[in-house]
Amino acid sequence: MKILFAADEFPYSGVALKMAAGLAMNTWSDITLMGVVPSVADKPATQSSIAGALEQYRETFYELCSHEDSPFKLDRVLWEWIPMQDGAWEQIKVFRGAHKDVRILLRFGQPAMEILKEARNLQSDLIVLGSTSGDRCLWSEAADTPQKVVASAESSVLLVKEDMAVKRIVVCIDDVPIGQEALEMINQMIVIHGASLVLIGLTKEGGTKPAVYQRMIEVGDYYADRGIHVESRTAEISELETLISQETREDMLTLSMSKKSVLGMLFSREWVERFVSACKSSVLVLR
Amino acid sequence: METEHKFQILILDDEPIVCKRLKPALEKAGYEAETFTQSAMALHRITEKEFDVVITDLKMEGLDGMAFLTEVKKRYPKTEVIVITGFATMDTARQSYQKGVFDFVAKPFKLKEILDVVENALAKRTATEKGNVP
Repeated sequence: MKILFAADEFPYSGVALKMAAGLAMNTWSDITLMGVVPSVADKPATQSSIAGALEQYRETFYELCSHEDSPFKLDRVLWEWIPMQDGAWEQIKVFRGAHKDVRILLRFGQPAMEILKEARNLQSDLIVLGSTSGDRCLWSEAADTPQKVVASAESSVLLVKEDMAVKRIVVCIDDVPIGQEALEMINQMIVIHGASLVLIGLTKEGGTKPAVYQRMIEVGDYYADRGIHVESRTAEISELETLISQETREDMLTLSMSKKSVLGMLFSREWVERFVSACKSSVLVLR
Repeated sequence: METEHKFQILILDDEPIVCKRLKPALEKAGYEAETFTQSAMALHRITEKEFDVVITDLKMEGLDGMAFLTEVKKRYPKTEVIVITGFATMDTARQSYQKGVFDFVAKPFKLKEILDVVENALAKRTATEKGNVP
């Protein structure tokens, strides 16, 4: 699995880093820490506050992930040929992790666009980023970055809003099958958090399509067969926003936003942003 | 007439969709791949044939991936084993490495990721056979 952790220099990004580090360590994922410097910065990029924050995040990451069994433990110092400009090469001394390395990137421009571009370049399976908690989910400077990334990313996105233990993973189900990659991403979240699973079948105007029940049974069986505790219920699709804001305080909300899913088809990007804003805790948007 | 040598890969995953996805991708990359959804059948197959690389899931009914990995390495120490799992933990990763796994890949993954790992595993195996790796 490939994780892109996208951050600015504010405390909520530090909270999201803990989540990203836990995921990377348990899944032995490749992880990239990324920050974006505004194009109109008034000083060299490496002296920017985001560059300083990235250095701090790297230190924190290694504090969290450098114990004896960690794949990221720095235990090799190697001389490596590194490609430079104009076809030149230079041999540089580098630290390598026991099995996995961390990449740290600084990009220039509009944060959401740069994050989305880098996620495509890296072929990330998951983008992790933090945002302000409570009723809104913003970044302090490029305010709409979390919402833009959630709405437009091609990969799954984990938006971390609170530093709290996740007790339940809440998955909204419609009549479109959940893809294998989405099922696997949910698996990993359940295992990492030791959480239980709640399936919510989405109904429309009082009626439940047989296909929704069918999907709930399929997904429920998939996880039950793997020894995971599953609760199931239904909810009106029109009440989803209220349900999200009232009932997901200690949960990780999971929304399937594939092109074929009802949520993906019925709701515009603005609605995705509203759902994510309404949720008080972390949100995993699956694609 | 000389026949082209193809590296032999065994895939074991109790989810047929994973086998269905991996087999054509590996074959397109020039490897010969056999898939199994039951560990007992895969276990029988390795008594008949040595594979260059084994890709195995961990959590399966019957003989699990960890036991299968142990059996493969006991029988063919040079075979490189790649673990793929939807239920990754530090503990399972550590155990896998203690048993000599080449790499540990958490699901979901992109096909390119697993193809890169297979290529690296085969490079290591080839180097080992040539005596270039201690």
